[in-house]
Amino acid sequence: MNQSSEENSQTQTPKKVLVIGGGIAGLTAAWELTRLNLDVELVERSSFLGGHAIQFCCKAADECQKCGACSVEKRLLEVIQEPRIKVCLRSELKGMNRNSRFSYTLSRQPLHIDPKKCTNCGLCFEKCPAPGAIFRGYSKNNVPLYAINEGKCLYFRDRSCTLCQDLCSEKAIDLDQEQGQISDEADAIVVASGFQAFDPVDKPRYGYGINKNLITALDLERMLREQGDVVRPSDNKAPKKIAFIQCVGSRDHKLGHGFCSQVCCAYAMRMAEAIRHRHPETKVSIFYMDIQNCGKNFSKFYKRCKDSIRFVRFMPGDIFQGDQDQLILFYGDEKDGHAVREPFDLVVLSVGIMPGSSNAGLADMLKLDLDEHGFFSFADPLDSTSTSQPGIFLAGTAQGPKDIADSMAQAGQAARRVGQYLGICFGNSTTY
Amino acid sequence: MDTTVLVIGGGWNGIKVSFELACAGYRIVLIESGTSIGGQAPYDHLASTSKQELSILLDRVKEDEGIEVLVSTRPVSLTGVPGDFHIRLEQHGQILEKATGAVVVALEAERVSMAEAYRLSPGENVLNQSQFEHVLASTKERGLPGGDGSKDVLFLVGLQQEGSPLVMERAMRSALEIQASEGCQATVLVGNVKLAEDGLESLYKQSREKGVLYFKLKGFPRIRQNGSNLRVGFFDGVLHGDVELTPDLLVVEEAIRPHPEIRDLARVLGVDTDAEGFFQADNVHYLPVRSNREGIYVMGPARRPCNLSHGWTDAQNAVLAVCHLLREGKRLVPKEKAKIHRGKCTICLTCFRVCPHGAIHWDNRAVISSAACQGCGICAGECPMDAIQLVDYRDDQMEAQILASTEKGVDGPQIIAFCCQNSAYEAGQMARLFGSSLPEGLQIIKVPCAGKVDVEYILTAFEAGADGVLVLACHKDNCKSQQGNTFAEWRVEDAGRMLEEIGMEKERLHFATIASNMSVEFVRITREMEDKLKELGPNRIKKQAAG
Repeated sequence: MNQSSEENSQTQTPKKVLVIGGGIAGLTAAWELTRLNLDVELVERSSFLGGHAIQFCCKAADECQKCGACSVEKRLLEVIQEPRIKVCLRSELKGMNRNSRFSYTLSRQPLHIDPKKCTNCGLCFEKCPAPGAIFRGYSKNNVPLYAINEGKCLYFRDRSCTLCQDLCSEKAIDLDQEQGQISDEADAIVVASGFQAFDPVDKPRYGYGINKNLITALDLERMLREQGDVVRPSDNKAPKKIAFIQCVGSRDHKLGHGFCSQVCCAYAMRMAEAIRHRHPETKVSIFYMDIQNCGKNFSKFYKRCKDSIRFVRFMPGDIFQGDQDQLILFYGDEKDGHAVREPFDLVVLSVGIMPGSSNAGLADMLKLDLDEHGFFSFADPLDSTSTSQPGIFLAGTAQGPKDIADSMAQAGQAARRVGQYLGICFGNSTTY
Repeated sequence: MDTTVLVIGGGWNGIKVSFELACAGYRIVLIESGTSIGGQAPYDHLASTSKQELSILLDRVKEDEGIEVLVSTRPVSLTGVPGDFHIRLEQHGQILEKATGAVVVALEAERVSMAEAYRLSPGENVLNQSQFEHVLASTKERGLPGGDGSKDVLFLVGLQQEGSPLVMERAMRSALEIQASEGCQATVLVGNVKLAEDGLESLYKQSREKGVLYFKLKGFPRIRQNGSNLRVGFFDGVLHGDVELTPDLLVVEEAIRPHPEIRDLARVLGVDTDAEGFFQADNVHYLPVRSNREGIYVMGPARRPCNLSHGWTDAQNAVLAVCHLLREGKRLVPKEKAKIHRGKCTICLTCFRVCPHGAIHWDNRAVISSAACQGCGICAGECPMDAIQLVDYRDDQMEAQILASTEKGVDGPQIIAFCCQNSAYEAGQMARLFGSSLPEGLQIIKVPCAGKVDVEYILTAFEAGADGVLVLACHKDNCKSQQGNTFAEWRVEDAGRMLEEIGMEKERLHFATIASNMSVEFVRITREMEDKLKELGPNRIKKQAAG
């Protein structure tokens, strides 16, 4: 490299990338982009970074079961420590214009809690009189750790309470903060807007919401994470018999969901193993169509699971209420086809990965295509990050169902493709 | 630092990563043990539909002046440190020496017929998947061989192995193709239909709509092969009865196995493999493309069976990793993490043997590469002469911290918890932040890895008056340094025996594993320890000192 270009490199401002979505794919893309010497604006719709995956529990039994939940924790820590990533929480993309760069507008809902001033003392959370009005992030690495739910806060109902604001010695809380707009420019965009879990209300035969002991796998993830154990919601006792029902929402052509969610068999088996590690006497049954692979050496893992979990190849239909808040499943015996009636203490619906609710709006603004199911479709069959728009790349479940490991790998690929698009050499944008 | 990168494997994955690395500015030495580079046959469906793209890529790699292609070449030995490796290669009996900054292993996987596992003799009416694909390809022009062309074709998938979406997809595509031929019926006997890949559920549905029959079996079918007569019988769970089929042709699945060179290569490179013989230990810290050694990356089917799209995702991640390591070759050498005291070192080789990162080598004395060192401290913990000190965790610093933690008087039992910074320390911080009630006498001491916890530290803690000591590590297979947790557990066992010898209850010392997101578990472990210590009463050594 000659002298002049080196001087050039020092005066050149680093290029900037807009990353849409603060889940594991967005976090990974953002972090990898900064390692390529790029600045990042990371936009997250909710109050906390980490997406779905930060809500997941560790599923280790005697040994790690490679679910990857701890990787999310680590990546989040790396992101919040990286000054080149500017985080915009409670923000959404509202408009995008393509000129020589990408001009974009974000709408920003007020945070009310100033992350720079908040010391995470938790006093507001503890003293708030309205249940759920102040809620806490899932990880210690959520900054700020607390957020205000305007729908439940008394101040937003009738201005009757400003207790949190008054109590905060750091003056970190401002209930009058207004929503704002940010307009800026970026050189490239990574769409990592994630997924939504299937809502079992859309499959009424299961009666989700009626029986307390019928929960989704996402509910179970949060329960294991927050309480460290599994209990029956109806009486807080340890369930003796648990059933997992697979493919709830996925592989369901009646609902128009002609795709496999790719993660549910893995999480059901891993959570079952984690529960049995804590309570070896608990009986777990998994009702399934086809067991899908996960991780390395799957056949050994599956064999181990088969030793401790009962696998039943049958999709139970209606779920009935039994005695003592039990749930009754009916299924066909695999040998003779006779109907079997069996009560369970807890039934877990393995809900699938569905396209994100904002996909259509985002696709419209960014002029991207969605596939037949509503995920972002990729342009090059050998590059699942590619889109029809130069400079816009996909990462994570926005593109289709995948697990934490694959989301991270795809996010790395997206970051690298951004680097290529921006002409980065030697992994360093300022030396080009 | 050397900005040459050695790529091992001249299949479509090796070609792709070479091309991408060359685009990123690096010089490439691409080696292949076979006589030419380029995918031999269509590697998978993606590859066969992207033939043109692949042939352009191959031409560009062959023409690129920055890419040196060496065929019939194998690595013999590797020395040096990340950024500055020296590799010896063998080509036609000659040894070539190359300097390289990083190594990317991009070997393809091997496809092996499973006919034998199905107890079938290959023949005209028993083909493996690759042979059948070949027949399909060649009959496209000439029509199906034999008679009027009508045939019952039976596919066997996932009955003698768990299988994968890769295997399933090939069978489904072939079944769909044969089903489209006049008078042909495709039937698939399958264990689990593996569909966890984009588009496969649609393909499965489409094939059923076109008339392909699927029977999902729980056991192995009865297969009788008598010359040209084939009989296959099985119990069907949907019909609840026995079914017998007499297909004209059986198509047997293939297994995807690690490349046969992996075993030797793992030894040459000092890189771990998994239980199935693929590269990369089964540990989430290595994902996607890291190995146990800094500067050596493993990708695509070298680390697990995968299609070309996933392999190329790995390729881009390998480029990122290389860029981060080498930059433009002028990267500052990373801060030293561990120091060896020359006077104390007796060259016993312990550190060399225990280092999981291959960061210690020999030059008349032990030398730690600061580029390769991950700062776990396993070597420091194992060194019998205490000749190795971690920069931020020197023994004297650790001792001072232990003594300081026992100085404060507390009401309850005094517990010192040595916490791995990657797991237990984070979990403890989270418990504190979430306002969980932790034992009053709990003192957390951060260590870079549980493998850094020396027996000495544990004994010092008890001598200083701790009533109990916890060593909290990552779960098995989740240690960033692969074995740090195992070393820690061994040392706790050792220290426990020593405590017993001097008449102290070994229950005062406890080893447990935990993850960074398990704050509730952290509370439980420390609380249980507190309860146990309340039962046992104060540490006798402390009592003696006080008395």
